[in-house]
Amino acid sequence: MREIVTIQVGGFANFIGSHFWNFQDELLGLAGDPNGDPIFKNQHLDMDVLYRTGETLQGIATYTPRLVSVNFQGSLGSMSSHGTLYDHNPPILSHVVTWPGNVSTHLSEPHKKNLFLQSLYEEEQENLAPMDGINSGKNDCKSEIQDKDIVESLENGVQFWTDFSKVHYHPQSLYELNGLWMDAQDFNNYGIGMDVFSEGLRGEEMNERLRFFVEECDHIQGIQFVVDDSGGFSGVAADFLENIADEYTNTPILLYTVRGPESYMNQRSRRQTMACDLHDAISFSRLSSFCKLIVPIGLPLLGRSKVSSYLCLEDENPYHCSAVYAAALHSISLPFRMETLGPATDSCYVSGAVDVYGLIQMLAGQARQNIVATLDAAMPAPSLTGKQVERSLLGSLHPFTPEIAEDVEDLQEVESLTIHGAFGSGGYRASVAEVEDTVHAAYENATTKPLFSHLSVAHCPLPIPLPFPSIFGNLVGQHGELLGSPVTGGHPSRGSLDVHSIPMAARLRSTSAILPFLENRLGNLRRFGIARGASGTELLRSWGFAKDELEDSAERLSKMIMTLDPHSQSSSDSD
Amino acid sequence: MSLRVLNPNAEVLNKSAALHMNINAAKGLQDVLKTNLGPKGTIKMLVGGAGDIKLTKDGNTLLKEMQIQNPTAIMIARTAVAQDDTSGDGTTSTVLFIGELMKQSERYIDEGMHPRVLVDGFEIAKRATLQFLEKFKTPVVMGDEPDKEILKMVARTTLRTKLYEAMADQLTDIVVNAVLCIRKPEEAIDLFMVEIMHMRHKFDVDTRLVEGLVLDHGSRHPDMKRRAENCYILTSNVSLEYDKSEINAGFFYSNAEQREAMVAAERRQVDERVKKIIELKNKVCSGNDNNFVVINQKGIDPPSLDLLARAGIIALRRAKRRNMERLVLACGGEAVNSVDDLTPDCLGWAGLVYEHILGEEKYTFVENVKNPHSCTILIKGPNDHTIAQIKDAVRDGLRSVKNTMEDESVVLGAGAFEVAARQYLVNEVKKTVQGRAQLGVEAFADALLVVPKTLAENSGLDTQDVIIALTGEHDRGNIVGLNQHTGEPIDPHMEGIFDNYSVKRQIINSGPVIASQLLLVDEVIRAGRNMRKPN
Repeated sequence: MREIVTIQVGGFANFIGSHFWNFQDELLGLAGDPNGDPIFKNQHLDMDVLYRTGETLQGIATYTPRLVSVNFQGSLGSMSSHGTLYDHNPPILSHVVTWPGNVSTHLSEPHKKNLFLQSLYEEEQENLAPMDGINSGKNDCKSEIQDKDIVESLENGVQFWTDFSKVHYHPQSLYELNGLWMDAQDFNNYGIGMDVFSEGLRGEEMNERLRFFVEECDHIQGIQFVVDDSGGFSGVAADFLENIADEYTNTPILLYTVRGPESYMNQRSRRQTMACDLHDAISFSRLSSFCKLIVPIGLPLLGRSKVSSYLCLEDENPYHCSAVYAAALHSISLPFRMETLGPATDSCYVSGAVDVYGLIQMLAGQARQNIVATLDAAMPAPSLTGKQVERSLLGSLHPFTPEIAEDVEDLQEVESLTIHGAFGSGGYRASVAEVEDTVHAAYENATTKPLFSHLSVAHCPLPIPLPFPSIFGNLVGQHGELLGSPVTGGHPSRGSLDVHSIPMAARLRSTSAILPFLENRLGNLRRFGIARGASGTELLRSWGFAKDELEDSAERLSKMIMTLDPHSQSSSDSD
Repeated sequence: MSLRVLNPNAEVLNKSAALHMNINAAKGLQDVLKTNLGPKGTIKMLVGGAGDIKLTKDGNTLLKEMQIQNPTAIMIARTAVAQDDTSGDGTTSTVLFIGELMKQSERYIDEGMHPRVLVDGFEIAKRATLQFLEKFKTPVVMGDEPDKEILKMVARTTLRTKLYEAMADQLTDIVVNAVLCIRKPEEAIDLFMVEIMHMRHKFDVDTRLVEGLVLDHGSRHPDMKRRAENCYILTSNVSLEYDKSEINAGFFYSNAEQREAMVAAERRQVDERVKKIIELKNKVCSGNDNNFVVINQKGIDPPSLDLLARAGIIALRRAKRRNMERLVLACGGEAVNSVDDLTPDCLGWAGLVYEHILGEEKYTFVENVKNPHSCTILIKGPNDHTIAQIKDAVRDGLRSVKNTMEDESVVLGAGAFEVAARQYLVNEVKKTVQGRAQLGVEAFADALLVVPKTLAENSGLDTQDVIIALTGEHDRGNIVGLNQHTGEPIDPHMEGIFDNYSVKRQIINSGPVIASQLLLVDEVIRAGRNMRKPN
């Protein structure tokens, strides 16, 4: 068994993470549910890759994500930073054993649990005391919370990522940064986050949290690191990554840099735009130097992008957007935990298992050592059969990575594609072999094809848990099949009550289409930061960057461009 | 006002309003922290929105838990926290002192005095006070054998402001012994060599000093011993796991057999390393009952654990980086980065190694070591917030001992220094100052009294009576501090109440700097946000 440890740093990263773990929790629940859809019974996915088993002081077994989450103090809403599993005796307030003198108690206003969390809590209480007649009687009348109302309440107000989380976390998992003394909106650039990790004992404490999870691993396959790189958290993450690279030298790190909608929303002055551009350049350059593969994710207008053809989501709503990205991350992570039965025998449920190291080698370790990959996905994935079979499946994959070129012909393109839960002819789930054959045929007939393509297929679709947002359009059926005509009646957007699972396809690509993304960053860094009399020099100095560090960063970006485009003009010194 | 032209939304507070905003912020922060001070202060229990509890009597911890928004308050808080970072204590005093300097200045400014004059007076008073501190401090000779009693007195003074007396006294012995344990002649004291480990188990009074090391993990093999006596300790940083990424990335294989062969070859390399360790074990343990323990910073995978277990070796993986250093200091030997030239000289020694399991948490105790230079303070407590509070107190206690040894001097506590310095400034320095800067000296002198005043206030005593009694004694030439129970003057020397010299010096140094900056502000300009909006 080869474990993965997940790290989530920053606001939007934790939003995505919350959905991601909800999917995992749903899969676990469905596998154990006797009345559940049989397709979830035999997933042939090893959840131990992402989860750890443990036990509380009372000896109760626990199964929790192998996760370190870092965020602002106060970003956990109504969830305790110790999680919920390990604290069975809540301490008595105002009883202080260490001080005989006066005690003053300062109570923050308790965060009210929303309907969803209330219903989870009640469900748990019922499970804890099933025999208690009097109590269960009470609960019966209280637990009248309707799923419909829950979905509605989540649509109307999600403030914290914990508001829609149904997962139990380990007490070591949730780390809060305290003593920053600033508003979240002021924590908006790389410079401001730079010292946060090293100040006080923060870095030490984060390393300790991570070590707790790594020590347990018999054979760690990699670290899946998600960072909200829109502000100060990229500075925190870069320091954290540097420590990890130092401590766990041979453990590959798969880094997703994610952007929430709000980072694109604010109306900005020219100065702020420049600050953002410089931040983007510095942040990307620094983060990329501490990982083996970096995947930038986050479109400015997700709801209006091609990816959302069958979706109906609010651009500015992080609860909506994070759900879409989480689905893609889930698909990408499937091959890491497929059960392999041996090299020769292909399972009829899964195929194409690969570990984190293998994936990184495939995309970034071959002849062209390009460590930046783009993420594309189709949500939901169309069925294999339909008009113009080949084009529909491959053609439905659209990028989640911003600022990339379209229709680029890159002969050295390498990709890893994961398809799961796809439908075949006549509305039946396609077998693994069918999917493989169709994709291969599609590539055979395609005019441009990648140099190398790895395909992972799983039978099991993406389950849609109750707290998933209502973001499906009315052409999406109950099992994620694409309908010919809109569902009549009801709301234009469909959520977890109407759609129970969807087929997904997602792929990572090492392609020269990423060039504009890189060139923009390099260009901005040179224009605002390095060029003589550049307007951002002062700002960068206030962030703590000396000129030579900036030149190093520019050098790194320019090397990345050279890797992809040896004839590049912009990478040779323009000034 | 050119900013107005550039940005019509920018808000400008005029000089007087800006000054008062600063003064109010400083006073506000002072009010929050005031009740913390001294052995009669109030402990604060902070309950978060999700019911998380933080317990603190420490200014530093409290500031970090507060969501401070006001820019002036943030500036003061940063200074106070920096105070803690450099000298380990005095956060509350710094905030009180800055607040009091502002408060005293307000009186004069309201009477029409220019802040510049006050600031000049501050500067004179600061220099004079620092000189006075040099005369006032009590030198402590730190020879080869430091005076344990004085170290204990300093540690006790700090700890009694954080914890109840019996607990404070227990920890006093612990922290003093811990620092003496790691102390090496002619070298700076590295407090990181004292490991602080905690267990949610039993009671606070079960906190103890372990001469040796406590690790927060155990062996990962069911057949390894849970308890062993007379152990050789191998401290290593060697990968004992099969690691695909170690292979040269450029290789390719054309069929499954070739791949298997590559894997087997790589596995063999790992096994070789394990075997070298086993060879060393056999060499040193043959013919005796001694045991062998490997503590590795890198990973050890199950096949390697199997081999080691079969050879009767206890192995721990993924040890903290710092524990590599601590282990060598505690047990002797040296940390090895390669198994190529292992010799018995690399090995350390511990009389006893055993595992303690609490739920899913495992602890490994490495004890009964010879002549340790690293040790562990094992904190126990019934719940997380109690443990956290004791931990904060232990850190402060350790710092106070370290400071004393490095300062080679201490300062009489219980407000004695502040009263003495104030009398010195008022009675002697003030006369030598020309003009209105005198008033700055006076403001500074009165601000010093914030410490004894607050101590008195927190003890429920009348501050006026206390100050009159104390200054009276000082004028008669008696150096006295405040007895917090009776309000009577006491001799801190007799009572064993001592503060750190470096902490005091730092407070005197940084307080006036920040206060001056805040006083000399001309305008506060903030574009884009409404400053008068209540937080």
